[in-house]
Amino acid sequence: MHRALIGLALIALATADAGAQTPEKRGGVIRGEVRDPRGAPIRGAVVGVPGTTLYTFTDGAGRFRLAPLAAGEIRLRAAAIGYTPASVTVTLVDSTRADFTLEPSPLELTPLDVVSTKVPHFGEAAASVAQVTQQDIARRAVNTVDEAVDKAAGVQILNGQINIRGSTGYVQGLNSRVLLLVDGVPMNQGDRGGINWDLLPVDQIERVDILKGAGSSLYGSAALGGVVNLTTRDVPTGFHARLRVTGGAFADPPHPEWRFRNSTGLQDGVDVSGSYGTEAAAGRLALGARHSDGYREQDERDHWQLAAKGRWQASPRTRLDVSGAWAVDQYQVPLSWCSRGECDDRGQIYQPFKVDTTERGARTDSRKGYVSAQLRTVKSDRFAWQARGSWLRTHFADYRRSATEFSVANRFGIEVRAEAHPDVARTVLVGGEGTFSDVDSDIFGTHSQSEFAAYGESEQRTGPARITAGARLDYLAVDAGSLTAVVSPRIGGTLPLAGGTLRASVGRGFRAPTMAERFVHTFAAGFEVIPNPTLRPETGWSVELGHITPVLGAVRLDAALFWTEARELIEPQLILVVDTVTADTTAKIQLQNVTRARIAGLDATLLAAPIPDHLTASLAYTYLDTRPTLAFRPTHLLTVTADYAPGGTGSAWGIGADFRYASRPERIELEGFVDPRRVAVRVLDARASWTSGPVEVRLLVANALNYIYNLVPETLAPVRTITVTAAWSY
Amino acid sequence: MSLRPPPAAVLVAVVAAAMACDAGLEPEPICARGLIGVCGTIRLSGTIPDSTDNVFVAAFTSFPQTCNDLILNRQPFIPSSVPYTDSVALYSIELLPDTYEWVVAVWKKVGDLTLTAQDTTLLRVAGYYRSPADSMQPGVVTVPTGGVVDSVDFRVNFAGLRPATDFVTCTAR
Repeated sequence: MHRALIGLALIALATADAGAQTPEKRGGVIRGEVRDPRGAPIRGAVVGVPGTTLYTFTDGAGRFRLAPLAAGEIRLRAAAIGYTPASVTVTLVDSTRADFTLEPSPLELTPLDVVSTKVPHFGEAAASVAQVTQQDIARRAVNTVDEAVDKAAGVQILNGQINIRGSTGYVQGLNSRVLLLVDGVPMNQGDRGGINWDLLPVDQIERVDILKGAGSSLYGSAALGGVVNLTTRDVPTGFHARLRVTGGAFADPPHPEWRFRNSTGLQDGVDVSGSYGTEAAAGRLALGARHSDGYREQDERDHWQLAAKGRWQASPRTRLDVSGAWAVDQYQVPLSWCSRGECDDRGQIYQPFKVDTTERGARTDSRKGYVSAQLRTVKSDRFAWQARGSWLRTHFADYRRSATEFSVANRFGIEVRAEAHPDVARTVLVGGEGTFSDVDSDIFGTHSQSEFAAYGESEQRTGPARITAGARLDYLAVDAGSLTAVVSPRIGGTLPLAGGTLRASVGRGFRAPTMAERFVHTFAAGFEVIPNPTLRPETGWSVELGHITPVLGAVRLDAALFWTEARELIEPQLILVVDTVTADTTAKIQLQNVTRARIAGLDATLLAAPIPDHLTASLAYTYLDTRPTLAFRPTHLLTVTADYAPGGTGSAWGIGADFRYASRPERIELEGFVDPRRVAVRVLDARASWTSGPVEVRLLVANALNYIYNLVPETLAPVRTITVTAAWSY
Repeated sequence: MSLRPPPAAVLVAVVAAAMACDAGLEPEPICARGLIGVCGTIRLSGTIPDSTDNVFVAAFTSFPQTCNDLILNRQPFIPSSVPYTDSVALYSIELLPDTYEWVVAVWKKVGDLTLTAQDTTLLRVAGYYRSPADSMQPGVVTVPTGGVVDSVDFRVNFAGLRPATDFVTCTAR
C-alpha cells in the first residue's frame, strides 16, 4: 500500500514537472454567460475544459470567467442540473467570449460530481451521489440545512443525526457515520463527532452533494456510511444584497390531553447578506436571527448567526478562498416524555408534547464556528495543487436541575493535495491530511486525538468506461498514545451501455471512536454511563451495483443494490458492574465494539417529467435489511415529490408537494427501559410560490396533515407548521 | 398541449394521501387502562402565585372535620401534582374502591411537608368537585371495585384560594 501511494505521488510530481517545463503559448481569458432559452441566467452551472484542471462556476448572473488558458482551439463544456449539457469550441488568441444556452432537461441530474472523487469532473459517478440544489432548497422554503438534506433520496435525519442507507441509527448525538464537509472541509465536531446542521445559514448554501456508501478512501474517518458536502454560494462580481424574512405558526396539539399552552406557537426569522466583488477579489457578509416558540412544551429557541466568505485571485493561476461562520443557539431542552408511572409528578407527562417538571427550565447554550482557507494553484492545464487549513470550534453547555454539563472542543485540520491529468483520459490525485482535535469537558474529560493520513486515487478512461481506484492510510492516536493504522481502499467504475449507464464500486470505510464515546461519563435514562477508552475503530466493506436507465423519453430510473458488511460497530450496552468495595451489582451503560452487521438493500429513484416544462415528479424508495436487526433503521423509506408550474418553467406561480413515508423501526435502543411507542412516518409537505423579478414569496405547509409521530423514543417530531418566506435579491 | 395530470400522477397522489391519513400517535387515555380511582378535567383560572410549588388532587371518604383529618385521612396519602400552568388540566388519581365525600384540589406553597396538621400552613383549598344536583355542595363519588369514575371535573381559581380553616377546625395557622 505504501508503495502504491508513493508511486501515485511520483506520477503526480513528474506530471507537475512536465507541465512546468512546457513553454506555454500566449493565451488569455474566456468570459461568457450561461442562460436558458428564455434568457434567464443559470446560476451554479459548471464551465470547464474536460480532462483538465480548468473549470469554474457561473455566478448569480450566469457569468463565468475561465483563466488562464493557452492560445489555440479549446473545447469548452457547460452543464447544470436540469439542463442538457452543451459544448463549444473556441479559438483563443487573447481574450474570447463564449456564451451558452442550455436547453431544459428536467431529468438531467449530475452534471458535475464534486464529492465522490474530490476532483470535480463531468459525467456519472462510480458511486451513488444525490444532490440538493439551491433551487430545491428555495422551492422547499426550509430554514435549516438538515431540513433540506432530509428530503434527499435514501436519506433520513433522526433528531439531527443523518442516516444514509441506514448507516448511523440514533445514538443521542454521540457520533455520526456520515462525514460533513463544508466546501470540502471536514466539519464533524471534535468531541462528539456529530454534525452541527445550524453551523451555516441555509440561505448561503449553493447545493448539497451526498455520497452514499463508504468514502473513507478519500475522506478518512466518519465517512463509513457516506459524505455530505455543502457548497456555499460563490461571491459574484458587482454589488449584491439579499433580504430573507420568514414567519410562521405551529399547529396546536390535536387532542386536549396534549395541550400545553393557551396561545399559538410562532416562529420568525430574518437573514440579510451583502457582497461586493471584482474579478480580483470579493467578499460577502451574512447575518441572521431566528426565534421559535417551539411546537411542544419547553421548546423555545433562539438562533443568531454570522457568516462570511471571501476570495482573492492572487494571480491568474492562484486563487485563495476564505470562509467562516459563527452561530449561537440558545434553546430550551424539550426533554423526552416519560413512560407512564415512571415520573408522573405532574400527572400527564407521559403524554407527547409535555415534559417532566423535574427538568423544567432545562436549556442549552450551543456556540459553534469555523474558519477555513483554501489555496488552489493551477500550474498548468495538466497539474494543480491545493492546500487548506481549517479550525472548527464547538461549545455547548447544558443547564439542568439535575446537572450542568459542558464541553469545549476544537478541530484543526490541514490538507495538501495535488491533481494531475497526465493525459485527457487519466486523472491522478494524491494528498496528505492531518487533524488534531481536543476537548475540555466535565463529561468527556480533557483529551486530544490526532489523525494523520495519506491518500491517492487514479481515474482512467478506457473507451466509454471509467475506472477509479485509490486508497487511504490513516494513523490515529489518542492523548498522544500509540498509533492505530487503518487502510481504506476503493475501486469503482462506470460503463455506458445501450440501455443506460452501469456503475459498480467496492470500498472499505471506517470511523474512529470519538472522544465522547471513549470518555463519556454521565447519566442517561436513569443509568450511569461509564467510559471505555479501549474502543477500536468501526470498519465496513461496502459494495454497490447501480444502473441509470432512461425509461421512455420522460422518465429516468436510477437504481442501486448496496451491501455493507460492518464490523466492530460501537453501540451502547447495558452491563452489570460489581462494586469492588460493597460487592453490589449495578447496571450501567457503556459504549462497546459489539456489533457485526450486514446492511443491504435497494435504492431506487424514478424521475419523471410527464408534462414537460410544467410537471416534474420523483419517487425515491429505499429498502433496507439489517442482520441482526439494527435499531432505528426503517425497512422502507419512500419519498414522493411533485412540482407543477402552470405557466411552465420560469413562470411566476408554482405549487408542489413532498410526501415522506418511513416504516416503523422494528427495534429501538434500550427497549424495555423507554416508552416503546413509535409509529411509521407519513408526512406530507405542501408548498406554493410566487416570483416576480427580484421578489419571491413562498408558502410552506410542513406536515400538512398534522400527523403526530416520533422518530426516536419519547421525542415528538414536528407538527404542522405554516411558514411564509419572502426574499428580495439585488 | 393538455395540462391534465396523467392518471399515474393522480394515482401516486391518492396513494400518498391515503397513507398519510393514519392518525399516528394517539393520546394515552387519561383514565389509564386498569386504573382504579377517579379522573377528569380541571379548569384553572386566576394568576398562579409565585410561591406555588404544586397543585394536587386528593379525596376523603368522609368530609374532614379537623386539620388532622385533612392530612391523615386523604387519599392518596402522598399525592402527585397535576398540570396547573395551563387553563385546562387533565388528571387521574388512584383510589381504593369506596365512596368519597370530598374530591378536592389543593394548592401547595413552596416548603417541606411534615405530614402533620402543621402542613395546613402550606396548603390551600383551590377547588373541589361539586354535586351536580347542588353546586354549593361537594359531590359524592363512588369508586366501584376494579373500576374507575371519569368526568370528575371541577374548577380551580388561584385568586380564590381558601385556608383549611374555612372548612375544618385547626389549631395550626
